[in-house]
Amino acid sequence: MKKWIEKLKLTKTLSTLTPILIAFLIGAVAIILAKESPFNTYYILISKSLFNIKGLLKTLHYAAPLILSGLAIAVSFKAGLFNMGIEGQIISSGFVVAMLGYRLASLPAGVLIPLLLLVGIIVGVIMAILPAFLKAKYNVNEMVVTLLLNYAIYSVLEYLTSNVAFFRDPSSGYVSTYVIGSNAIISRIGGSKLTIFFFIVMIVFVVMYFVMKRSKLGFEINAMGKNRSFSEATGMEIQKKTMYIMLLSGALAGLAGAGWMMAEKFSYTLDFSGTPGLGWDGMLIALLGGHTPIGILVAAIFYAALKTGASSVAIYTSVPAEIIILLQALIVLFLSIKFFSNKKTKKVKKEVKANGVSA
Amino acid sequence: MEIIKTVNLTKMFGDFTANNKINISVNAGEIKAIVGENGAGKTTLMNMLYGLLKPTDGEIYIKGNLTKFDSPTDAMASGIGMVHQHFKLVPSLTVYENVLLGTEILKTHKIGKKSFSLRLIDKQAEIKVVSELIKKYNFNISAESRIKDISVGARQKVEILKMLYRDVEILIFDEPTAVLTPQEILTFFETLRTLKKQGKTIILITHKLQEVMEVSDSVTVIKQGEVIGNLLTKDTSSKELARLMVGRDVLLKVDKEYRDYEGKDIVYRLEGLTTKNNDGINVVNNVSFSIRQGEIVGIAGVEGNGQSELLDMLTGVLKSTSGKVYLKEREITNFWPRRLRESKVAFIPEDRYEKGLCQEMLICENMIAGYHGNEEICKYGFISPKKMLDKLDRLIDEYDIRVSNKDGLISSLSGGNAQKIIIAREFDSNPDLLIAAQPTRGVDIGAIEYIHNSILDLQKANKSILLVSSELSEIMNLADRILVMFKGSIIGEVDAKNATREEIGFLMAGIRKDSKDEKVDRKAKTN
Amino acid sequence: MELVLKILSDSLYFTGPILLCTLGGLFAYKSGMINIGLEGMMLFGGFISALVIFFTGSWILGLFAAIILAILLGLLFSFFGVTKKANFIITGFAINLLATAVGKYALALLGTNDINVINDVVRERSNLDIPIIRSIPYISDIFNGQSWFTYLSFILIGVVSIIIYKTKFGTYVRVTGENEAAARSLGIKVDVIKYLAIIASAILCAFAGYNVAINQLASYTPDITAGTGFIALAAIYCGQGSPKSSALYAIIFGLSRALALNLSLRVGSIAGLLEIIPYIMIVIVLSTVAIIRERKTLYRGFINE
Repeated sequence: MKKWIEKLKLTKTLSTLTPILIAFLIGAVAIILAKESPFNTYYILISKSLFNIKGLLKTLHYAAPLILSGLAIAVSFKAGLFNMGIEGQIISSGFVVAMLGYRLASLPAGVLIPLLLLVGIIVGVIMAILPAFLKAKYNVNEMVVTLLLNYAIYSVLEYLTSNVAFFRDPSSGYVSTYVIGSNAIISRIGGSKLTIFFFIVMIVFVVMYFVMKRSKLGFEINAMGKNRSFSEATGMEIQKKTMYIMLLSGALAGLAGAGWMMAEKFSYTLDFSGTPGLGWDGMLIALLGGHTPIGILVAAIFYAALKTGASSVAIYTSVPAEIIILLQALIVLFLSIKFFSNKKTKKVKKEVKANGVSA
Repeated sequence: MEIIKTVNLTKMFGDFTANNKINISVNAGEIKAIVGENGAGKTTLMNMLYGLLKPTDGEIYIKGNLTKFDSPTDAMASGIGMVHQHFKLVPSLTVYENVLLGTEILKTHKIGKKSFSLRLIDKQAEIKVVSELIKKYNFNISAESRIKDISVGARQKVEILKMLYRDVEILIFDEPTAVLTPQEILTFFETLRTLKKQGKTIILITHKLQEVMEVSDSVTVIKQGEVIGNLLTKDTSSKELARLMVGRDVLLKVDKEYRDYEGKDIVYRLEGLTTKNNDGINVVNNVSFSIRQGEIVGIAGVEGNGQSELLDMLTGVLKSTSGKVYLKEREITNFWPRRLRESKVAFIPEDRYEKGLCQEMLICENMIAGYHGNEEICKYGFISPKKMLDKLDRLIDEYDIRVSNKDGLISSLSGGNAQKIIIAREFDSNPDLLIAAQPTRGVDIGAIEYIHNSILDLQKANKSILLVSSELSEIMNLADRILVMFKGSIIGEVDAKNATREEIGFLMAGIRKDSKDEKVDRKAKTN
Repeated sequence: MELVLKILSDSLYFTGPILLCTLGGLFAYKSGMINIGLEGMMLFGGFISALVIFFTGSWILGLFAAIILAILLGLLFSFFGVTKKANFIITGFAINLLATAVGKYALALLGTNDINVINDVVRERSNLDIPIIRSIPYISDIFNGQSWFTYLSFILIGVVSIIIYKTKFGTYVRVTGENEAAARSLGIKVDVIKYLAIIASAILCAFAGYNVAINQLASYTPDITAGTGFIALAAIYCGQGSPKSSALYAIIFGLSRALALNLSLRVGSIAGLLEIIPYIMIVIVLSTVAIIRERKTLYRGFINE
């Protein structure tokens, strides 16, 4: 039986690694189009971000918001809720935190930083309320609503940042809000890029680990994603839980946005969340991590390493940094199929189905 | 003449042998019954004959010719048609569209001498063809009705028409009577005899032995994927067939003790319970009844007469529009499932893998589902894995559940053992009321015996039980009182001890005893 | 009055691509495969046609390339979603991400911010001047001089309706979506039907992409679609999969874009804020439709979907 479990884990690892390998293979074609050597490019991509301490700490720093957005996506996807609003929730939270971080700069850091993190969480929750309510109460397709709201949120923030004097920093050379006060900046550790924020994220991660693995809510999230009728019939009250889950997801996204602002960006700009955006990165990470907490941690670090490495690639080769979003899209594409589903279980299932029809 | 012959026909699913060297022969123009328990391999065999599955080994001869089917289309071309238990009809399409599905008649257009087709469907021609076919077989349905609007019996006729249109000579019926009323079953037998008279060969897959005895010419018994008996119907009996199927003598009836419940406390009471479906039609209409302590009340009826919706209401998944429900004189109308369980109501849901269990979750997780928030297992919002596993071990032991791998998924269990998981889980909560729906659907005879006995044991422990089932014999064996549902209402009540199949059958068809003669009269007049 | 005419005319202009995506999405929807990748398929269409026209100067080649790529994307999506039984929601998302990624990577390689084809295509040439309409006042202002893809998209409402409800192929598509087992039992090749439905869907999206990138903007950037694919999905959900009512919602959404554009031209700096009108309006319409629909159900937890 142990062997059986080991085999299963091996299949699991293989089915995670295969999409990455295929994506890298296809990515190699794109690199060749840029007239560079794929080997060299991939070597730079990985070595600069994982194989030296400075790079590694930088990678961990970038991983912090990704872990949160990965968890945010995972809790909702796992429950069968396609909450694509993470991106909008992250940038909203970042924007509000930027504004308050500038306006309340006189508060001492010990008060301001926790306050702003809390504000970030609240903003994330608020931004999630509308789609959560519409889904929970009226079954309005949450995917379409959250996606369209993302466009709306982005436009509003763009307008506020570029046209409203209260927000826009006129001294900045590009469209940006005022820079947050120094008391609002989460301090770095030693000379590295890593900040306390990473450790805050790790605490959240541990909590979420237990929530997803051990809690009643985690149990219900799992059941909801697998069989809604079963969940409702066994008293899980799907509509209420939908609300909870979407708001929890929003809270995690809000924290990610706040932390990213206070540990890395310091002011809201139009590319605050990067390309294609922390929320989208979260989707890749949640999928890659198989919606499990540990998986998400590993995937977030892996993807952060790619992101860190991508800037080195752009410096040392003529391959554009956009190679990273290409790889990301390809990985998501190949993650959507199961490469190593256990053939035997598949057939038995088929047979069960066939008999189910007759029974 | 042998119209179908199989030689050593074998089908494997991975390591599992579903059919092992099956040799059967069917004569032209006979009604052949194939019987066996659930999971014996009847359906696998038929799916091979119908081209849905490819044999791993062995040969199929049709009229003496070796034949290989790649798809149902091939089988139909060779004259074999199949009427599935779950009809393969498209509800939003009409009768004629369903009959001609796959062989549509297309319009041709003419410009001058050249004719061409825009691949548009010729509606008028289709209606004509199907209406003629209906007339020929005297089926009494309209070609233009939509499937979703017609009765189950009529749907079955559409399935048969589908095959007749394709000129099949051999018709396979998979559990054809499961969804019919006793009277519809009689009509169905008439149809079978008509088809036989017209020279068709019929293969009947069933586990209902009385029907085999009544309508078939010969019987083949299959057990664990192997043929263990070929008999002529006139030379055998239900008892013999049952023994062959199960491998031991089977008590076809459980021991049931009838008592008088008149003076006992009322545990459960419904007052005028009503609900609508999404189209605003009352699917459950003014249902009232009560169950006394220690009593089993059965609800019989043809499927689709509001039982499912009534169950959904009583289990808290569907809201009622009016009426009240009381448990021990406390109102529990429209309680959510969680609160119902807290009020000590337990459920065995109708659809095991839809509402009762989650196939892709672990056995232990399913064993606590619905009770996963109970203090026994869950503290401060966190579930203790150890206590969960302890409970699993305890219940597996107590309820004799055969589990090959305790860490496995529900999908690894047989139907009977999966059902036992639900029974263990619900019985262990020590309920005041058990609502059991189709408790033995799709489980083998051994498990049926077990489940029936445990329901009776629960009764002996003075618990009240509401039993909803479409298996009339199950209700007649277990219940003290039988209510019959028809078109969303309780149309009549009979005392189980003295009830006859015929009496209940009439109620199931919507004919009340007192109004029977009247109705017949009215029919005669309109004719 | 002029403003009203302008808004109505612009509505048609904006409706074209939404309608093409909606009708495309319908094929997939009816066959039981929700195509989340509409947005990406449209973006790919715009990208490849702009790229080909940029290098060859021939709009025919551009359109041809868009169709070929659409077929390939359709095959890719079908192979994953149908043959490999992938989670096709994720596959669709991946196609969206891929469309953006390929576009951005290519632009970075070319060292430019957009693929400008303004010199290769004369925009006016793709706009049809219909003599009968031209002479009618007002009507001419609204209906005349739209790009031929706009006219095509409206004609397609009827064509798609007929294909879905009156032809053999359409019937099979519906049957596949409604009861796959029934279709299979009669030897209908369900997988082939799904492949075809998805490819049809991809081609219509490619037309939408071509329409926006070539006819309307004469340039490609990775954000030209601006959620059109998802707006089309919203239209399909609102119209419950009926070609005519889905098309109606597509037109409403086109109207809201036209409103936003025309109002923003007149309000000065607040214009940027008006960009959100279409999105908010769609969310409101979608919610209203869902609320009306869900009010009927007495089932808890929406399990009877």
